[in-house]
Amino acid sequence: MGFDLKQALSELCAAPGVSGAEKTAQQTAQQLLSQFAKTETDSFGNVYGYVGEQTHGRQKLMLEAHIDEIGYIVTYITDEGFLKISGCGGIDERALAAQQVTVYGKETIKGVITSIPPHLSEKNNSYSINDVFVDIGLSKQQAEKLVSPGDRVLVENELVSLGGSLVTSKALDDRSGVAAVLLALDMLKDKQTVYDICVLFAAQEETGERGAKTGAFRLAPDLAIAVDVSFAKTHFESEEDCAKMGQGAMIGIAPVLSSEFSQGLIQTAERCGLPYQLEIMSGTTGTDADKISITAGGVRTVIVSVPLKYMHTPVEVIDLGDVEKTAQLIAEFAQGR
Amino acid sequence: MKELLEKLCLLDGISGDEGAVRDFIISQIKDHSQITVDPLGNVIAFCKGKKTPKNKVLVSAHMDEVGMIVTYINSDGTLKVECVGGVDPAVVYAKRVRVGKNKVTGVIASTAVHNLSKEEKGKTPGFDKLTVDIGCESREQAQKLVSLGDSVCFDSRFLTFGDGFVKCKAIDDRAGCAIMIKLIQDTPEYDTYFTFVVQEEVGLRGATAASYTVDADYAFVLEATTAADIPSAQADKKVCCVGDGPVVSFMDRHTIYDKEMFDLAFETAKENHIPCQTKTMIAGGNDAGAIHVSRCGVRTTAISLPCRYLHSPSCVIKLSDMQDAYRLTKLILDRTYNR
Repeated sequence: MGFDLKQALSELCAAPGVSGAEKTAQQTAQQLLSQFAKTETDSFGNVYGYVGEQTHGRQKLMLEAHIDEIGYIVTYITDEGFLKISGCGGIDERALAAQQVTVYGKETIKGVITSIPPHLSEKNNSYSINDVFVDIGLSKQQAEKLVSPGDRVLVENELVSLGGSLVTSKALDDRSGVAAVLLALDMLKDKQTVYDICVLFAAQEETGERGAKTGAFRLAPDLAIAVDVSFAKTHFESEEDCAKMGQGAMIGIAPVLSSEFSQGLIQTAERCGLPYQLEIMSGTTGTDADKISITAGGVRTVIVSVPLKYMHTPVEVIDLGDVEKTAQLIAEFAQGR
Repeated sequence: MKELLEKLCLLDGISGDEGAVRDFIISQIKDHSQITVDPLGNVIAFCKGKKTPKNKVLVSAHMDEVGMIVTYINSDGTLKVECVGGVDPAVVYAKRVRVGKNKVTGVIASTAVHNLSKEEKGKTPGFDKLTVDIGCESREQAQKLVSLGDSVCFDSRFLTFGDGFVKCKAIDDRAGCAIMIKLIQDTPEYDTYFTFVVQEEVGLRGATAASYTVDADYAFVLEATTAADIPSAQADKKVCCVGDGPVVSFMDRHTIYDKEMFDLAFETAKENHIPCQTKTMIAGGNDAGAIHVSRCGVRTTAISLPCRYLHSPSCVIKLSDMQDAYRLTKLILDRTYNR
């Protein structure tokens, strides 16, 4: 049986894993990874994988993606039994109003984020996280039995297809990256690689790339490819600032990345006839690559991204074809092409 | 009634496109009433009771819901939409929708939060800065799936949660429709007219025509009304509270209600130990606005369910309020037929 990308991505996206509470997502990713690698986890929320025999004398290549997702965290229960929440990661506050949410308390409970109807407001509303509550339809006494400050809250949109090979779901940032790494490993099955390959699915990227810091230290790679998502052009955005959906992986070029390694990936893409796009950043990248590259005595690192629309909303969109092309690029590079 | 409400809410029927809701309602009441569908698409049902009352009594609810309509297909295959009825763009941002007869899945969004200019930050984009993305790459591709004028409906799950609450789109006013279906299926004691009307959300238009046709002495409008009972609202701005029973209004933006009928409603509620409340703000409006000035005037009462987050994909009501509204309506009807 081949690796079913859409099915795997669907499972990955469905697993709750708000930063710092990645357990379910961690387990789902570990389960999928275990068909390709010897796996282990740590208490930080990271998943590690070792592919095949790790031989002495070969360089160690780490394939990395983050396992956490954007979400909310309960900070307070009001006298009326409503929940106050705060963001875990860089949330899009425009996406708050009138969402159905799941609260991961002692039990999994459902609720709605509050909004003010047009009948009672003069004009269009804009909400900040401080303006809204989660309505769980319970009194304070009932709520306190099930929910505690620190519980995570998610808008749970399952993965569905749009036109062509496009899909929409929550958490495509960065379960798409996790899926691309898994697909690359599937492509590398029974193939000779020029590196020892290890895998890191890192916790807490959205709150400051923390899992990548501890995880990369543990694996101590010579080279690292961080796989994340980045901006694809949407209707109101400029072509100059964004990649295009369906046109392949975005290879990052930035001062903090190994330019030699970026060029190496470009050459791989050229040699193998794989479509790719360049993403130029003028400083850091805002991804795990920033932390991995300065781990221990330094790691030569690049970032490869899957183009994604509507980042950090529950309606993120990617093209499955771009995940495939990203996986292919990684697999070809690992084989020394 | 919950099962009936779920079925009704999950049907798509924005103003002017109520066909699916109408067909379902007719299937539920055709064995219990004589049905006419008028030129606007209103369902007028006459329910023959055991007796003929002194007064001609009408009960009305609207079938349509708020949503959006496709106004343009952009060259990149995304859709421009405008709201149908009063929809705050804040509640459609980052939501899933269904477009047109083919029920094409789409998502509503805009520029990524990371890429906003200083002026754009912290503000919800209006409909002019939102697109529906159905995953097409070009106008030509999108035109195969979607046409201008197609309805855009919220893709919202029906959810039971908390202490007897339900959440879905379109509870305004499928809850009223559900109560009316139940009243018809029970067969009222006296002859009664029921109208399931179109186009409430775009100006009480269906009710204008239907109430002319029925020519009633007394009318009862079953609705869902704004409850703003969330912790940030001051007591007087809460309007009404979910769980405190049906809402009988003395005045809203379209109607000053019949005072005797208003008093009758509260007396009836009190005598039968049914919780009942009124609105603490002159806000909103409903088909009563059209009905009470129909022909030479109709004595009109609105019995509404307190509903949070009205006109959003996540309207919330309490099932106990729905039961109480049903009971109260039945009892007031009995006191109206021969008064």
